[in-house]
Amino acid sequence: MNVGIDTGVELPTRLTGTAFAVRTESLTKQFGARTAVSDVTLTVPEGSVYVLVGPNGAGKTTTFRMILGMLRPTEGHVDVMGVRAGPGGECRAHVGYVPEGRSVPYPWIRVNDLLAHHARYYPTWDAQYAAHLVDALDLRLKDKYGRLSKGEARRVELVMALAHRPPLLLLDEPTDGLDPVIRATVLSLLAEHMTESPTTMLIATHLIYEMERFADHIGVMRSGRLMAQMHRDDIQVRLRRYLLDVPDAWSAPVLPIALVKENGTPRERQWTIWGDEAHVRGQLTAAGAHVRSVSALTLDEAALALLSTKERV
Amino acid sequence: MLELDSADSRPLYSQIMDEIRRNVVLGVWAADEPLPSVRQMASELRVNPNTVQQAYRELEREGVVYVLRGQGTFVSVGAGRSQRAPLLRAFAQRIAREAYRSGFTTSDLMEALQELGPEETFDREDAT
Repeated sequence: MNVGIDTGVELPTRLTGTAFAVRTESLTKQFGARTAVSDVTLTVPEGSVYVLVGPNGAGKTTTFRMILGMLRPTEGHVDVMGVRAGPGGECRAHVGYVPEGRSVPYPWIRVNDLLAHHARYYPTWDAQYAAHLVDALDLRLKDKYGRLSKGEARRVELVMALAHRPPLLLLDEPTDGLDPVIRATVLSLLAEHMTESPTTMLIATHLIYEMERFADHIGVMRSGRLMAQMHRDDIQVRLRRYLLDVPDAWSAPVLPIALVKENGTPRERQWTIWGDEAHVRGQLTAAGAHVRSVSALTLDEAALALLSTKERV
Repeated sequence: MLELDSADSRPLYSQIMDEIRRNVVLGVWAADEPLPSVRQMASELRVNPNTVQQAYRELEREGVVYVLRGQGTFVSVGAGRSQRAPLLRAFAQRIAREAYRSGFTTSDLMEALQELGPEETFDREDAT
């Protein structure tokens, strides 16, 4: 099928603004011959909830590890709250991090000892808040870390990340392994946390619908590249699904529009297009298509559409 | 309580606004009664508190609610009545668009609405 992509129209990958809690510049990581992260310029505005979405293996975790100074970039650099991240891990005291897997190497340690141990590293540790989180997340303080289920270990990681009220939270698949009830609790706790502690959240997930109501910024990552990065309102306004009635055997001319995704039947096409609605409508109408409806996408649908865009060369 | 629909294409803050409007029109929240705090609302709906804040701010601008510093957000006197028309209009717009999407005109839709039997609607005698 003739696809009306004008390669001159790009999806936005740059956010403008003044203060960024995290800012990477041309970040690249190679493991041998494999490029895990390629030329990523990620900008997370201060105070935002930035959801980085992408399939497994897209490079989200590797990006997080470079932001934290746990991995040295092959190229590029990272600034965390204005400080260049390095192997010394200078930024770690200001960051709450929920890693993808388990972070604690002592299976014999009990949850209460683990939290007490963790508290010593963080002068801002709020013991009362930690106790509240333990209670809300239904954790047992006497349990040994090594005996916890995947979901329980994740909850402990969340307590460790949240209870020192860091200005920056990096959550790598924070709801992974949680049952639906606890997942809802976690989301409520995150909402309360945001109200009470000024914080920036960078969340990596492949399940965007869970974070749909939190995200105000979204980055879409695929195969190590940041495909798009934008404010949620821009997605709502500029990314739309157009339902088109078209004449028999209509072949789409190449239009100056950013077609993100297309499907449909010969007479009815469904195009997801990035751009100003009036402009897009005008282009489509001039090309002989009748616009039957225009609708906004949910964040979940938007992420899927953006992930399915063809690689631009 | 408020219900949000993640498949709804309205922005989240405007869904929250319309849900508050609905509760105000229904009298769930009466004049001079407080809305839940931003924290409470964000926690219950599991949404970003900034989104709740935005909805409250917009409703304040529209005069549906008023804010007493340090005390909270309250339903304006008369909002229960004044919000009926915009709420109904928003409904009508949504249904009309949905019908057009399937190839029906607004008058087709009005005709069909009038032909609905009592067993197909939830109309009650006491509805005003």
